Amino acid sequence: MLFNSIDFAVFLPVVFALYWFVAGRNIRFQNFIVVAASYVFYGWWDWRFLSLILFSTLLDFGIGIGLDKVERPSARKALLWASIAVNLAFLGFFKYYNFFLDNFVTAFSFFGQEIQGGSLNVILPVGISFYTFQTLSYSIDVYRGRLKPTKNFMAFAAFVGFFPQLVAGPIERATHLLPQFYARRTFNYSMAVDGLRQILWGLFKKIVIADNCAEFASLVFNNSADYGGSTLLLGALFFTFQIYGDFSGYSDIAIGTSRLFGFDLMRNFNYPYFSRDIAEFWRRWHISLSTWFRDYVYIPLGGSKGNTWLKIRNTFIIFVVSGFWHGANWTFIIWGALNALYFIPLLLAKKNRTHLDTIAQGRIFPRLGELRNMLFTFGLTVVAWIFFRAENVAHAMDYLGGLFSTSLFTIPAGADFLGTALHPFTLFALLGFFFFVEWVGREHQHALSTLGLRWKRPLRIGFYYALVVAIFALGGKEQQFIYFQF
Amino acid sequence: MKKFLLKSLLFLIPVLACIVTVFSLADGFTDPFYMRFATPSQTSLIIGTSRAAQGLQPAVLNEVLGRSDLFNYAFTMDHSPYGPTYLKSIQRKLKEGKGSQIFIITADPWSVSSSSETPNDIQSFRERKEFLGGTFLVNMRPNLIYLLRYYNGPFIDLLRQQNNSTFLHDDGWLEVNITMDTASVSKRIKSKLEDYSIKMSKYQLSTARLAYLEETISFLQTQGTVYLVRMPVHPELQKMDDQISPDFSEILRAISKKTKCSFLDLKPMNGKFQYTDGMHLYKDSGAEVSEMIGSWIFGLEK
Repeated sequence: MLFNSIDFAVFLPVVFALYWFVAGRNIRFQNFIVVAASYVFYGWWDWRFLSLILFSTLLDFGIGIGLDKVERPSARKALLWASIAVNLAFLGFFKYYNFFLDNFVTAFSFFGQEIQGGSLNVILPVGISFYTFQTLSYSIDVYRGRLKPTKNFMAFAAFVGFFPQLVAGPIERATHLLPQFYARRTFNYSMAVDGLRQILWGLFKKIVIADNCAEFASLVFNNSADYGGSTLLLGALFFTFQIYGDFSGYSDIAIGTSRLFGFDLMRNFNYPYFSRDIAEFWRRWHISLSTWFRDYVYIPLGGSKGNTWLKIRNTFIIFVVSGFWHGANWTFIIWGALNALYFIPLLLAKKNRTHLDTIAQGRIFPRLGELRNMLFTFGLTVVAWIFFRAENVAHAMDYLGGLFSTSLFTIPAGADFLGTALHPFTLFALLGFFFFVEWVGREHQHALSTLGLRWKRPLRIGFYYALVVAIFALGGKEQQFIYFQF
Repeated sequence: MKKFLLKSLLFLIPVLACIVTVFSLADGFTDPFYMRFATPSQTSLIIGTSRAAQGLQPAVLNEVLGRSDLFNYAFTMDHSPYGPTYLKSIQRKLKEGKGSQIFIITADPWSVSSSSETPNDIQSFRERKEFLGGTFLVNMRPNLIYLLRYYNGPFIDLLRQQNNSTFLHDDGWLEVNITMDTASVSKRIKSKLEDYSIKMSKYQLSTARLAYLEETISFLQTQGTVYLVRMPVHPELQKMDDQISPDFSEILRAISKKTKCSFLDLKPMNGKFQYTDGMHLYKDSGAEVSEMIGSWIFGLEK
């Protein structure tokens, strides 16, 4: 079920009513409703894959119990590795089987050996990368003694399947979310209203910004050979806003929805395009994944301790693995490696933690230097996104070749965007408004956290209505969330 | 909680009112399908893919047959091939008539073919996740469910005067107004041939779909009289049809015999009509074919 669908618009109030009015204050019943709703939410897409979630839930619940009972270190380690191996095996099969097979066949062909690969028509279960990482975090944290294993199966099933973040995150840690399923939830008016504001902004980002940018970006990327450098630059910029609006919009809706049910999910985006260097960007982009890799891969590898070579190796590993997590394609791996290349100079110069505050904190405008750094960092990410969006590496290289050519200094023709639902100038105006609201709200949890709260009531309500009207009137063609495929 | 619910409701009521008001402006220009879901339930139907949607004109048929209830409920080969989804939608659209109901069922090889590797696997039928499966209310105006789920574009377009080349009439006929000079038609036929030659590598005849064609006929026979028709197509496109199923007319003849319904094969007349793109009859030819089918039914009813 998509957040931006009529199905969800009906589903959410029904679950809300069942959760607060039927289950009342009975925690077990509330958890049961969360689990049932989550399975309906997921099964709406394809009920056959519910068995995978259930299996993953049973496996890690059982391993948690096992880790509690077993004291022998070798047995505990075996249990942990069983969890890691089985979870990653599922992920590997559904997501990477054909990729490895194709590359294996290609590698043998390179050495003159012709072998036949039995590629399979494997359907990628929505959200498998997200819930697999979430359950893995539970087993690892229990193993490390950071979390007491739960004996409450319903709470654990609710933690694994919690519908707002089940298919595209934020990837929650058991230490943060699981205890919330043990505690009594009482309805909090302010929290719920703020949740609604966050949902509204998330929908605006997804439907108005991302879906419209998607149409323009797809037009340019799908016909990139026909366009000059300046149009290719616009295409890359549109994709840059598309992916941010799409994914951060999803996260906003997920977090806002959770707040309606009394849950607090971790933040996933913190205005990443206002970053002054790439290290800051990665502290602000897909935070739940970056911190997952930091805690469960980077630090166990030694982190930034050790000699220069180890630092470089560890940085490369997490960026490349992070890229590979996004999909079984060399484009994602190169995207990760490119970001590693951006990051390593900062790490080596010990400047990777320079910008821990928010840009222009307490001020309206940034300083010239801040603006320059922000634009430079933004430019680097735009180039990296080309690999992320391209069909394959050759396409990305051709795209870059076309972009960095003399035609970059020509004016894009209006005819380049014929057939799009919105006029390019309308989209530019929307992006300008979007940028403005995000800039104003950059020191807060989400862009509408405080915006308008001091305005006169009719103005504030009018502003919310304007967003609703924009969502309905200017919404682009309904697109699935990009991160569903990961 | 009371305050939250009350304020939320107060906020939502104007939003819903606006949605209903704007959506009530949707009409035959909105898209090629909407009006079929925004009209009352019907007693007599034309069933099939886009060949029937554009080719068969209920107004002409009604005139020939001296009736007023025929409604075109045909969509496209992607949305309405024979299968459980289309059958269920037909059942939703149908209401019991007082007199003798008639049903014109058109079929072509694509309407009983599947594009998946397992052509008889109902779960992988291409139309399952399209609008026919998801539009469970098909007689509602404005049809909020269809528009919210499947309208392909910004809703602001509903407020604008549309200047589309297609118009979906209230009786379900999709009128297409495009230039018919030789060069344009040749270009469109060429493009269609390219498109279908790509499709042909994926499509294969499905016995499960043929069984659903039979089931659709049998179901509609419980409501009235069924007439099975093979629609004409441009001779170049006919070659594609023949590659999917060389003996398709024989298959339909066998089905008509088995289900005891009359069958009209218009394949031999392929060359007599004008097509917009090779696949679809131009409206003048559509009127001609509709009149021909009407006369055939009229003759059988006598």
